Amino acid sequence: MTETTTQTPGFTPDRASQILQQARAMMEDLHLGPVQRWKAANPGGMAIGYMPIYVPRPLFEAIGCLPVTIFGGGDQIDIIRGDSYFQSYICHIPRSTIELGLNGHLNCLDGMVFPSLCDVIRNLGGMWKMLFPDRWSSYLDLPQNFALHLGGKFYAQELKRIARELHERGAKAYDPEALRQAVRNENRRRLAINVLDELRRNEPWRLPTSDVYVLLRAGGLMPALEHAQMLEEFADAVRARPARPFDNVRVVLVGAFCEQPPLDLIRTLEKSGCDIVDDDLQLGLRYIESAIDADADDPLEALANSFIQYGAATASRYIGTAEKGAALLEKVKLTKADGVVFAAASFCDPALLDQPMLEAALERAGVPFTAFKFSENTGQFQVIREQAGAFSDSVKLWGTVQ
Amino acid sequence: MATSKQQHLTAGIDAGSSSVKVAICRSEAGDKPEVLATAVQRIRRRNIVEVVEATFAAACAQAGVDPKDFDYVASTGDGEMVAMRTGHFYSMTAHARGALVLDPEARAVLDVGALHARAIKIDERGKVLGHRMTSQCASGSGQFLENISRYLGVPLEDVGTLSCQAQKPEQVSSICAVLAETDVINMVSRGISTQDILKGIHLSIAGRLARLLRAIGAEHVVLLTGGLAHDAGLVMALRETLEGGKAAELLARSHEDGILAGAIGAALLGAVRCDQLVRMGRTDVLAPRIAA
Repeated sequence: MTETTTQTPGFTPDRASQILQQARAMMEDLHLGPVQRWKAANPGGMAIGYMPIYVPRPLFEAIGCLPVTIFGGGDQIDIIRGDSYFQSYICHIPRSTIELGLNGHLNCLDGMVFPSLCDVIRNLGGMWKMLFPDRWSSYLDLPQNFALHLGGKFYAQELKRIARELHERGAKAYDPEALRQAVRNENRRRLAINVLDELRRNEPWRLPTSDVYVLLRAGGLMPALEHAQMLEEFADAVRARPARPFDNVRVVLVGAFCEQPPLDLIRTLEKSGCDIVDDDLQLGLRYIESAIDADADDPLEALANSFIQYGAATASRYIGTAEKGAALLEKVKLTKADGVVFAAASFCDPALLDQPMLEAALERAGVPFTAFKFSENTGQFQVIREQAGAFSDSVKLWGTVQ
Repeated sequence: MATSKQQHLTAGIDAGSSSVKVAICRSEAGDKPEVLATAVQRIRRRNIVEVVEATFAAACAQAGVDPKDFDYVASTGDGEMVAMRTGHFYSMTAHARGALVLDPEARAVLDVGALHARAIKIDERGKVLGHRMTSQCASGSGQFLENISRYLGVPLEDVGTLSCQAQKPEQVSSICAVLAETDVINMVSRGISTQDILKGIHLSIAGRLARLLRAIGAEHVVLLTGGLAHDAGLVMALRETLEGGKAAELLARSHEDGILAGAIGAALLGAVRCDQLVRMGRTDVLAPRIAA
């Protein structure tokens, strides 16, 4: 991202840099300062944390709750107690989330949602219930049957259950009109994200993915409307920022949809000559790939159906074996990418089990790719830099991987 | 519009951790290269962006070219510090290409820089076939040697000559720079000559480099590049190590411009890329003169 910490006298950071600085400060605040401020400004409002990737955020906002994305501790905390709750051969995010919970970093949360991502997150949900019995927490069983009359109906019931349980804990009662407004706000944010995605796709030198990443991380801590306004202002500012193109390779980054890589890992890829023109980082904010019907007679049903009909193809969602890789290939085509970089969290079962099938699809289509693993607290990037640099040069000069 | 195989004027800027190297080349899409000018400046705690600009300006002045005349300015090393870059190449790729210019018979490259050493196996086109590099430990790198020269009170440029005068080199830890530094302190207190200490260090580094070469299955001619390519003591130690070890078929060579291999390689890869971009119609990244 654009750094403005070492400012010379008289230096005025541009508006885009200022917004990025604000977003980065929010992202790095493990005590969830923005959430605490929101609660202070909204008496009676509840903050509900959720594990990535997807939860029905508009529903929470409609009943006066702030949905807060919990991305673990990243590379900012040492795991001491969290390690004692999990076996060694699982990913890192549940350990750091437990650590944050036990250290009191998440005390401002009134509840937690554990969507059905994988067994590890399911287990985390169980532990959370035992560790924090006085706080509301819920496992959100996302449907894997995508028929509206089955999965859609089931999911609408799940949404009603959540709204009911939270109302019993002090949230507002479900109001269809409030949900319609929350859906409009979410649609506006989705549109603002689309604008940024298009900008980095068309002019990656103007808007690197590391900047988009920071902006979206901040979005997990604020209401949709406020975030949308931030993104809109940033898009206007960044268009005015002087920039010129570089001869880089265009890559799609895949695999980091839950546990997030350190910002420096993304920057390492960019420094290695890769323009990341699409990714599944922080997929939750992009999971619904179309606008949700904000004027439906039954907005709850519309919200449930949006998951069924417009959910992104990702490893935690059932996709027929024959279709594995189709969405990725479509992305490569749409973004005119030169190759794909697989970056999955170590021991991430969904990502790593899907990867061979995605790689096979890329091989059949002749799309070059490379793969490595990371952990949210990875601190050494030389090996990744070596690999990404070699990949970038190979694709650039030889059109293939060595 | 430029056509393929036309003459390209390109620059390569290698922003390393201790020095900045610039090469200005003319070539036909990387073929028939002619090095017009080179420049090297040590960073010495200065702002690296300013050192890059100064070194680039010096090379341009030497070649008598205007920065606007370049078809492609390629960075390698820390590319972010090279504001005028058109594109970036990874240092391994750049050193591989540059080594072939300096020694067309080279089929392996040992890039020994300030922080890392890397062995690269290449084919006759300079394409990388395999590589290995030292781990995080600095004992196979130039920074380690620089630290030792400071402890011993020997100017860095004299290290190689002194090492070549050694009679009875002392063995130094080849595993850890910290242990090696302790070894050196012990040797000084035991009255071991500076020449023998330096030779021991060179042999230690050479041992690590030889293992890297074996790991990549290097064959035939190995060219030393990077900041330590000039170090006569290291070259001699490497030759002795290779002759005495399992890699006896390897021939270690150095070149007076070995430190410039990355910059030369980047400049030539820039020319290759320039040609490719013109053919692909992707001229938006190139100088306006080419794009037009």
